[in-house]
Amino acid sequence: MKFQIEDVTVYFPYDHIYPEQYAYMVELKRALDARGHCLLEMPTGTGKTIALLSLITSYTLSKPNNPVKLIYCTRTVHEMEKTLAELKLLHAYQTTHIGDRARILAVGLSSRKNLCVNSRVLAAENRDSVDASCRRLTASWVRAAAAANPNLPTCEFFEEYEKAGSNAVLPPGVYTLQDLRAYGKEKGWCPYFLARHMVQFANVVVYSYQYLLDPKVAGYISKEMQKESVVVFDEAHNIDNVCIEALSVSVRRQTLEGARRNLNKMRQEIEKFKATDAGRLRAEYNRLVEGLAQRGNLPFTDNWLSNPALPDDILKEAVPGNIRRAEHFLHVLRRLVQYLEGRLETDNVEKEGPVGFVASINTHAGIDQKTLKFCYDRLHSLMLTLEITDTDEFLHIQTICDFATLVGTYTRGFSIIIEPFDERMPHIPDPVLQLSCHDASLAIKPVFDRFQSVVITSGTLSPIDLYPRLLNFHPVVSRSFTMSLTRDCICPMVLTRGSDQLPVSTKFDMRSDLGVVRNYGRLLLEMASVVPDGIVCFFVSYSYMDGIVNSWNENGILKEIMQHKLVFIETQDVVETTLALDNYRKACDCGRGAIFFSVARGKVAEGIDFDRHYGRLVIMFGVPFQYTLSKILLARLEYLRDTFQIKEGDFLTFDALRQAAQCVGRVIRSKADYGMMIFADKRYSRHDKRSKLPGWILSHLRDAHLNLSTDMALHIAREFLRKMAQPYDKAGGSGRKTLLSQEDVEKMSDGILNEMQY
Amino acid sequence: MNNGNGRRLNGETEEDDDDEGSEGDLDAWERTYADERSWESLQEDESGLLRPMDNKTLYHAQYRRRIRSLSSQATTSRIQKGLIRYLYIVVDLSRAAAEMDYRPSRMAVVAKHVEAFIREFFDQNPLSQLGLVTIKDGIAHCLTDLGGSPESHVKALMGKLECSGESSLQNALDLVHGYLNQVPSYGHREVLILYSALSTCDPGDILETIQKCKKSKMRCSVIGLSAEIFICKHLCQETGGSYSVAMDESHFKELILEHAPPPPAIAEFAIANLIKMGFPQRAAESSIAICSCHKEAKVGGGYTCPRCKARVCELPTECRICGLTLISSPHLARSYHHLFPIVPFDEVSSSVLSDPHNRLPRSCFGCQQSLPNPGNKPSLRVACPKCKQHFCLDCDIYIHESLHNCPGCESFRHLKSPIATEE
Ligand code: SF4
Ligand SMILES: [Zn+2]
Ligand SMILES: [Zn+2]
Ligand SMILES: [Zn+2]
Ligand SMILES: [Zn+2]
Repeated sequence: MKFQIEDVTVYFPYDHIYPEQYAYMVELKRALDARGHCLLEMPTGTGKTIALLSLITSYTLSKPNNPVKLIYCTRTVHEMEKTLAELKLLHAYQTTHIGDRARILAVGLSSRKNLCVNSRVLAAENRDSVDASCRRLTASWVRAAAAANPNLPTCEFFEEYEKAGSNAVLPPGVYTLQDLRAYGKEKGWCPYFLARHMVQFANVVVYSYQYLLDPKVAGYISKEMQKESVVVFDEAHNIDNVCIEALSVSVRRQTLEGARRNLNKMRQEIEKFKATDAGRLRAEYNRLVEGLAQRGNLPFTDNWLSNPALPDDILKEAVPGNIRRAEHFLHVLRRLVQYLEGRLETDNVEKEGPVGFVASINTHAGIDQKTLKFCYDRLHSLMLTLEITDTDEFLHIQTICDFATLVGTYTRGFSIIIEPFDERMPHIPDPVLQLSCHDASLAIKPVFDRFQSVVITSGTLSPIDLYPRLLNFHPVVSRSFTMSLTRDCICPMVLTRGSDQLPVSTKFDMRSDLGVVRNYGRLLLEMASVVPDGIVCFFVSYSYMDGIVNSWNENGILKEIMQHKLVFIETQDVVETTLALDNYRKACDCGRGAIFFSVARGKVAEGIDFDRHYGRLVIMFGVPFQYTLSKILLARLEYLRDTFQIKEGDFLTFDALRQAAQCVGRVIRSKADYGMMIFADKRYSRHDKRSKLPGWILSHLRDAHLNLSTDMALHIAREFLRKMAQPYDKAGGSGRKTLLSQEDVEKMSDGILNEMQY
Repeated sequence: MNNGNGRRLNGETEEDDDDEGSEGDLDAWERTYADERSWESLQEDESGLLRPMDNKTLYHAQYRRRIRSLSSQATTSRIQKGLIRYLYIVVDLSRAAAEMDYRPSRMAVVAKHVEAFIREFFDQNPLSQLGLVTIKDGIAHCLTDLGGSPESHVKALMGKLECSGESSLQNALDLVHGYLNQVPSYGHREVLILYSALSTCDPGDILETIQKCKKSKMRCSVIGLSAEIFICKHLCQETGGSYSVAMDESHFKELILEHAPPPPAIAEFAIANLIKMGFPQRAAESSIAICSCHKEAKVGGGYTCPRCKARVCELPTECRICGLTLISSPHLARSYHHLFPIVPFDEVSSSVLSDPHNRLPRSCFGCQQSLPNPGNKPSLRVACPKCKQHFCLDCDIYIHESLHNCPGCESFRHLKSPIATEE
């Protein structure tokens, strides 16, 4: 359908539109008009992505004079592919309406692991080794050597791509990663480099968060993006964590051991070059004396990770004299590694600010702040000089240099925390030194500054006023939308008591109470006997899950549960978990029924959908607070309080509730779906907790469901499941418009809009 | 309800509990559940969302939907119905059948209505046969073979009413498949599964079994007793059956009786078939003969096969000796109305109702009860598209489900002819 939002003609590829999608587009348009940033919360299953894509592309079409580029960031490759597939559909629709004028170029960009088409390279197991394998075939010096000696291996796809020169472009169209690979294979061009090249010219780019937020990657991928861009962060409820992770480094014993090996290897290389090609080292030295840290424009293929510090904070000065010579630099690094090893030897938890830490490095290892700051650039230069292609082997020393550069650059918003062991497992020594960033606004600031509009959107952004404070920006629009439903297909409940009327909670002092453990067990058992197909359970942590599943096993409840359904468990091992998930789905498909035990904040909670029969019920056992004794969390809380005046309690509750909402939201992925959500902890009945849940859950949480015991919940579940199994009218009953046709939209007043907002 | 007086505690990470507002919460709970069935009559709940207003409207709405879906099927494909049906009823007697959410138990309720269904089935499908299968302890048992006698089925079922163990859909399907595969090709193979359990514990891949059933053109339908199960839905979708879940006993009854009239024939299967049938004579009152079905000597009653002259006790049946289908002509006649269903009535739209220029009949043509005021509630009356008479919803249901002809049309036909002669 085609309709008008103020001066923009919106092309929407479906015949009907949900009222909330329309409202969403209107708000988005206002933000684009104002050239400002915005925050939009809208539940999953309402077609957020297509609304976004269709408005932004239509906006560009309506204003051909200042075209905006769309940079769409997703969290996973799967989401990226889905987004591009939707865009393809939209594009086809636009083309049938306005023909060539709708022509765009849209590409997805991911790592070589997902784009490479060279079978020899793809055999490598992880991302870093694929990168390194590719580099071994394509680094400029490798290619130079191969030109002289045709027996040396190169990548034929890259050679073809290079040969095609400026002809190597993608014709307009929408390219998913799969399309890119297919196109690359057909033409014999490397899809990865082709995509990286085309990113600058594309109208729509879809890639991962890191490509904008992590300076190490953004530095070489996103440098060229124009200011007139709209940046969208989809599923952005955890964006603050992505931001702080991008600027955090942790160093363990293995890192230091690896770094030592790297240093030895580099020393050997230097010795070798001294013997065979001394001129090369001298040339580097001379260049550094002239004050050029970097070698200027590097060939495309020689880029490795960029500077970990944010672009504005990188010094444009000459490299200090004491590390210009390769041997000297290695010396400095060796002293640094030694110093860090010493710090790891501690028996106590230590916390320090960057300033103190730098001072201590200076006194004990004799390395000053400026030198630290240049570690990254100097290492990069040295690795190029030494023509190192096994970049995956050298990640350890890279980590050390990242650490040094960051600690030398930032004085605020960071702290260094050394923990001799994980506090949850005090008997296993596992010392770790972490440079942790507390300020999410640091990493995202360049994005806000640089681009015209930044859209942060997700199904759960409540309370919506906290995000601007955490990220330190001023949205021109921030709104939350509900979901218009033809029937009450979600049924959230707060369970506060077991069948014996005793309260249940994962509060610290009640956690190991056997009564609570039993009540939780009985809840699951009873639910397993009335809920068909799949049930998903989320626990507050791995250790809590292990503990409670153990007790259930001991008192026989687990066995009883297994009479109804098979039980699968998420572990920290990705492969194992994937297997468990596969089998879980199979058990749901074939009617056996299954339960999946999983952990809030885990991989499953973030990325796996349990829609339809894969999740008819999700039980959130407890409130998933972060591990509050964690030193890093405490440091972050302190910083948030001092800098942004965000109270600890508020932040922790907010964070716990967004995780909980994220977990339970896994079961509803579309409007035709239905599912129940049980918040099993008495603390959820408190207003200050509950009110932080997103509106689309709250609006279905009826007062009568706020303080239930197991038997009451059971009763509600039975009724709900029966009711949902009845056939229903998908178009919505009389009076409640849940699908709008073009005609409806045209005569739409603001009434609907106001209805959709909170 | 407001329990928003929660203090915000600063700096405290996991607060103490003060069970604030718990009494209030309990009130809310009791408000909704004090009256045992109050949730069925919710009009609009606290959050302003519409819920079913009362059972009657819900019931009517469901009926209208059904009629509509039936008629849309009928218009898209030529009406073709299987009059000769071979139906297996599978009764799940696993552990779940003992649950008491239906009173006295699911099992008892199912048995009761299966009995009624069996009678209704033979009433409406005199040419058809059915058999009974139960699932218990993960194994499927054949209770009765395909046959035309309601009594023997009912007796067998009532004798076996106990339950235990798991349920296995696959075992049941495999068993039934084995039997149904042997029935003559003009018969319609059907399975009706009354499923209490929420899962199925199968020895092998049930998806394969479902494909097998699909290949053998077995139409599998399921009525669940508690909730929607994916595999059942899948089974019904694949094999062209219907899947429904009962809300309560009366709904269950309604759902099971829906299976009594013959379903539309499976498309590729719907080749017209000519079947040889015999219309046996009723034997003279005094004649003595040994019947072929019970192997007993009987005086009087019974029927004689026109082809081989064997004696049978009941109709309809298949002759034990020569295999001829034996029926009586009233049986055949009763089967006919399925071939000529009356068209669904149209809802009278609210715009017509509220139009003052339209003089509409005030009462139902069928029962003469007055129809609700226009504008009160929408679409509470329907009109026959042929004779344009208005009916109430109860009559609507009665006409389509039991009477099978429209009183309006019928009386007009009678009216017209005398007028024609007068002129
Ligand atoms: S150049 Fe491209 S195709 Fe060749 S190895 Fe590298 S990523 Fe793979
Ligand atoms: Zn007999
Ligand atoms: Zn005969
Ligand atoms: Zn009537
Ligand atoms: Zn009529």
